[in-house]
Amino acid sequence: MHSLKKNRPLRRIVLASAATVSGMVLLLSLKPHSAPTVAVAVPAPSGSSSAGPATGTKTVTGDTVQTRWGPVQVRITLKSGKLTEVTAVTYPQDNPRDQEINSFALPRLRSEALQAQSADIDTVSGATYTSDGYRQSLQSALDSASS
Amino acid sequence: MTTTLAGGRAARRQTMRRIRPRRSPATVLLLVVWAGAVGVLWLWWHNTPSIADQNGKILNAGRITGLLAGYLMALVVLQMARVPALERRVGSDRVARWHAMSGRYTLCLVLAHIFLIMWGYALQAGKSLGDIVQQTIDSINQLPDMGKAAIGAGLFVLIGLTSIGPVRRRIPYDTWYHVHLLTYAAVFLTFWHQITTGNDFAVEPAAKTFWYVLYGSVTALVVWYRILVPIRLNMRHRMRVEAVIEETPGIVSVLIGGRKLHRMGAQAGQFFRWRFLAPGMRFSSHPYSLSAAPRPDMLRITVKAIGDHSARLRELTPGTRVWAEGPYGAMTAQRRSRGKVLLVAGGVGITPMRALFETLPGAAGDITLLYRANTTQDLALWDELAAIADDRGARLMYAVNSPDGERPDISVERLRQKLPDIEKHDVFMCGPAGFAQTVFEALRGAGVPARRIHHESFEM
Repeated sequence: MHSLKKNRPLRRIVLASAATVSGMVLLLSLKPHSAPTVAVAVPAPSGSSSAGPATGTKTVTGDTVQTRWGPVQVRITLKSGKLTEVTAVTYPQDNPRDQEINSFALPRLRSEALQAQSADIDTVSGATYTSDGYRQSLQSALDSASS
Repeated sequence: MTTTLAGGRAARRQTMRRIRPRRSPATVLLLVVWAGAVGVLWLWWHNTPSIADQNGKILNAGRITGLLAGYLMALVVLQMARVPALERRVGSDRVARWHAMSGRYTLCLVLAHIFLIMWGYALQAGKSLGDIVQQTIDSINQLPDMGKAAIGAGLFVLIGLTSIGPVRRRIPYDTWYHVHLLTYAAVFLTFWHQITTGNDFAVEPAAKTFWYVLYGSVTALVVWYRILVPIRLNMRHRMRVEAVIEETPGIVSVLIGGRKLHRMGAQAGQFFRWRFLAPGMRFSSHPYSLSAAPRPDMLRITVKAIGDHSARLRELTPGTRVWAEGPYGAMTAQRRSRGKVLLVAGGVGITPMRALFETLPGAAGDITLLYRANTTQDLALWDELAAIADDRGARLMYAVNSPDGERPDISVERLRQKLPDIEKHDVFMCGPAGFAQTVFEALRGAGVPARRIHHESFEM
């Protein structure tokens, strides 16, 4: 711009803020809203399957899933085919931020899993990768428990 | 001791040079900067598989503002690194305006980043927006390098506050300048949390490398051009005050001697930042234009005694050591496109115009100087200008107030009357802001395209 052309600072401020905010809103809204769920056939966790070999208490450890932040692995406990406990055995805890995230994300993932009785659980915001890893490890544990 | 520096052989040789316009690299540089910003946004896009909910949006908005602020921060510092391509090709004044503009924008991004991230973290922990202060304190205590980042952010706010128009006008220049130097500390302090807590740098080693290269090269440029190059320049040329001459009441010329001064590569129209190593003056440097084409043994600046610093120039004693940084400024012969040139000077704005008047390449009748002052007594350097005009067949005109104090009429009609082919001229202009604005509008009205009106202004 020429140094002597009329510059309107107010207009420039309004334009810059409007452009920044709308650009950001656009970028954020273009992102998919939840994690692309891992395409695995959930073995219908119907209550009637208790007739199977899975009587009594059974503990199964799932696969270790590598995420961007580190490995995630869960252990599940089944009583008469019913999912009664999910414990995260391994999860990223290299820095305080990881620990902070895990302290709220892991309990929520656990309660969701127990409620859904499957690996069909929602991503916890702010813990996208951990949620993904959690889901996959849980799925593998459920798979090997039912086989 | 000669008081006039006109008529040097070197200057006369310059007038016969071929006209070689060089384009400002501004457009290319701006494109590179925008491409970099797109790259930074792509980095975020690439590392973000999805956004779960409202909270995710807030956190991601915080990440985007943080990434952009980190990128722009490096550029804001780069703009003040005194890189010759910026100072001499784009122009010091334009780069300073970019710096002010991008600095303000970056500070806003930093504040938005802090607010959004802390808000997001608070929501994540099951708290509400009201707990944002507590959340910020917790994060500073718990996360790596956040203490440093908090101090850095505080410094940024302080620097921003001292640069707001009314505040800046009220505090002394030196205070403002020294507060501004804290920017380096603030950038250093805030750098580390970007690397240690930034999502994108943790998962993308290439991004981390790029960030180190960006900040590393800016640091290298600052050290080179702001510290080492000036030291070398002053070791080599060893400048001292030769004489101080009163040109008109209130306007003084300072003659500065030294070794091989023509090797400094200074051109007519450029300026140096001068620091006179005399009591009370050594801690601040000020930009003053050369008022004559540089000679191997002599440089000259001409200054109006308006500020604290310029009033003291009058008392400089011969032999005083001079520390100079430069040459800076892009208002040189390279700016013109071709053919004829009109130089317009308002008051002490005559200084760079005087140097250009002597050296701009052109045949007899190609160069015209219009000199505006309050009275004929205020026309500093007039005798020299008249001698140059005679010598090279250039035209010299002045406009002063009428005896009853009325301002001369600088209008489209008057300009056309004096220079019927005015639209074929390149115009170089230097003078007070109001005067420059009036002349600019008259010139535009007379059909001179804006890109051929060359003007340097340090008003933000």
